[in-house]
Amino acid sequence: MSEITASEPVRHRIRAWSGVLPLLAMLAGAFLFHIAVGAKPLPVTTVFDALISFDPTNFDHVIVQNLRLPRAVLALVVGAALSLAGALMQGVTRNPLADPGLLGLTTGAAFAVVLAQTVFGVAALAAMPWIAMSGALGAAVIVFFISRLVPGGATPLSMTLAGAAVSAFLGTIISIIHLLNQDTFENLRVWLTGSLAGRDITLLWYTGPWMLIAFVAGVLLAPRVTVLAMGDEVAQGLGVKTGWLKAQLLAVVVVLTACSVALAGPLGFIGLVIPHVVRLYVGSDYRWIVPYSALVGAAYLISVDIVARIAIPPREISTGIITALVGAPLFVHLVRRRAR
Amino acid sequence: MNTVAPPRQLVLRTPRQLIALRLPLRGLVVAGLLLLALLLVSAISLATGSYGVALGEVWETLRGITISRVIDNVIWEFRFPRTLCAALVGAMMALSGAVLQNATRNSLADPSLVGVSQGAALAVVTLTILFPELGSGWRPWIAFAGSILVAMAIRTLSQTHHGPSTIRFVLMGIGLSAFISSITSILLTYGEIDRAMAALAWLAGSINAASWGDVWTLLGWAAVLFPLLLLLSRSMSALRFGGITAIGLGAPVTLVRNVQLAIAVGLAAIATSVVGPLGFVGLVAPHAARRLAPAGMGLHLVLVALFGALLVALADLVGRAAFAPIQVPAGILTALIGVPIFVLLLIRSQPASSS
Repeated sequence: MSEITASEPVRHRIRAWSGVLPLLAMLAGAFLFHIAVGAKPLPVTTVFDALISFDPTNFDHVIVQNLRLPRAVLALVVGAALSLAGALMQGVTRNPLADPGLLGLTTGAAFAVVLAQTVFGVAALAAMPWIAMSGALGAAVIVFFISRLVPGGATPLSMTLAGAAVSAFLGTIISIIHLLNQDTFENLRVWLTGSLAGRDITLLWYTGPWMLIAFVAGVLLAPRVTVLAMGDEVAQGLGVKTGWLKAQLLAVVVVLTACSVALAGPLGFIGLVIPHVVRLYVGSDYRWIVPYSALVGAAYLISVDIVARIAIPPREISTGIITALVGAPLFVHLVRRRAR
Repeated sequence: MNTVAPPRQLVLRTPRQLIALRLPLRGLVVAGLLLLALLLVSAISLATGSYGVALGEVWETLRGITISRVIDNVIWEFRFPRTLCAALVGAMMALSGAVLQNATRNSLADPSLVGVSQGAALAVVTLTILFPELGSGWRPWIAFAGSILVAMAIRTLSQTHHGPSTIRFVLMGIGLSAFISSITSILLTYGEIDRAMAALAWLAGSINAASWGDVWTLLGWAAVLFPLLLLLSRSMSALRFGGITAIGLGAPVTLVRNVQLAIAVGLAAIATSVVGPLGFVGLVAPHAARRLAPAGMGLHLVLVALFGALLVALADLVGRAAFAPIQVPAGILTALIGVPIFVLLLIRSQPASSS
């Protein structure tokens, strides 16, 4: 008896562990390739040299260290953060359509940043994470509040509709601010389409610590998300303090989303897509879904950013456009599948 | 015995009863008030601007009396076509929403919410950026083609063997809109900068550049589509009770539904092709009209059209007067009003039938 019941999780665990190494290799490969391609293609050996033994007189090394490495790191961090946030949200809300973008969090963070920079003239980078976090938190609270008021409660559908409404409203106000402050807005325009190009990497020093804490907390909380995904009553029956756990998870999601937005602008659909892909491989155990989402998400955004950079040379497509282009069909597919 | 006195009403009939409109008095009064408000807003709109004109002078100019060449120019060349455009576009978007809500039996349907506007937008941006040598005369047709393709895609996608679901229709629209918008964005990023700027101005939903040509385009299409809607109004009332009841009442349901969708898409596409995507007018106007006065389908459509016209005319006036000299596109203001109403409707909606 015990053999039969134990074999299933064990097989899953073996399968999950077996994926870690190929995944890390894939991530490293994408990372190096991301640095190597560009207006001046560099051989991977040069990239290696530049990373390991940096020579400030070598022009290629300077390109790698000053331009390409920061961008690759940015894609890595933001991809991992948004995917992890999406995975946690899907578990907590039991909503397969949950995504920091669809539920209004990214627009909330973007709105707060725009408001702070153009209207109140806050330019201090140190303040940005806090501003973005308060915006994301505010939007999250409003969306969940609205979806609770909808007859039938906070279903995936009501949450998505509320998220779309809040995003539309905040987006409109952003447009108005844009119109009224055309000069100051110029430098935010690219950022608002969700772009990794030309970002100020020093911002990573201010957001990094927060994101690191949130990453660790997310992975540590993941086992209890599995229980939570079975429903509040089951979770309470198993001794989980659901309210406190949800508050912690909300904090993690808000920190990761807000810092990502501060770094790269509102990138959509990453948090939706990656956890679904991961689930195909590791099943429904959030102990695996959460860390896997972070790894796959990082590799995914790096790959997307490569496409964004080289698809139509010499111009560059905003990364956020491509994530929407890939993510929206999957969203449509998920809506259809839920109907069955 | 309780006898309920029927509401006081007028009945208009055409000889062979093709159209029979029962007109409750309250509805008529509200329609009159809306028309009055529309005229008032239009008058203020004609008088307001960087070159102020007194209301009396506006009236004189419209009667053909030349006060000065400048005033003549300002009124006839800029403000009058713009005001007419705003009112026409508002009426068309509002009617499109009303018909869409009736056909899908979804009170949250709006051309901008279910991807129809985005389809038109993508088509027009493609035209502007990739084929600038084709004149703007192609715009309405291209926009119509883009919208109808998207509408058909959404309809097909939201149709599962559980039958069509109203809320799924809106979710499909959100997904598809995101997809289409990102293609539009690629065109804007990649396209030649001058053409991209022209497309961008149009995309904000602004009535800035309205000309007499636009007015004639809108009027021409309205002259075809509005009467068609009134002809359909009787079958539309039957559809209010749902497909099965409507069949029982003798309405050719599938045909009516398809014609309705085509008209709804057509109205939104034409309006969009002229001024760009104007959000939420189609969502708000039908609900407002229903709140203002109970009416049969025919009069309801008239009220919807008037309310939509008033809403967009007002949005245009406020948008260009409130923050002058900066012009806030009307589309932004309609979204600002529309979103809270959408949330309100969402909260007050019936539980989703299938989810």
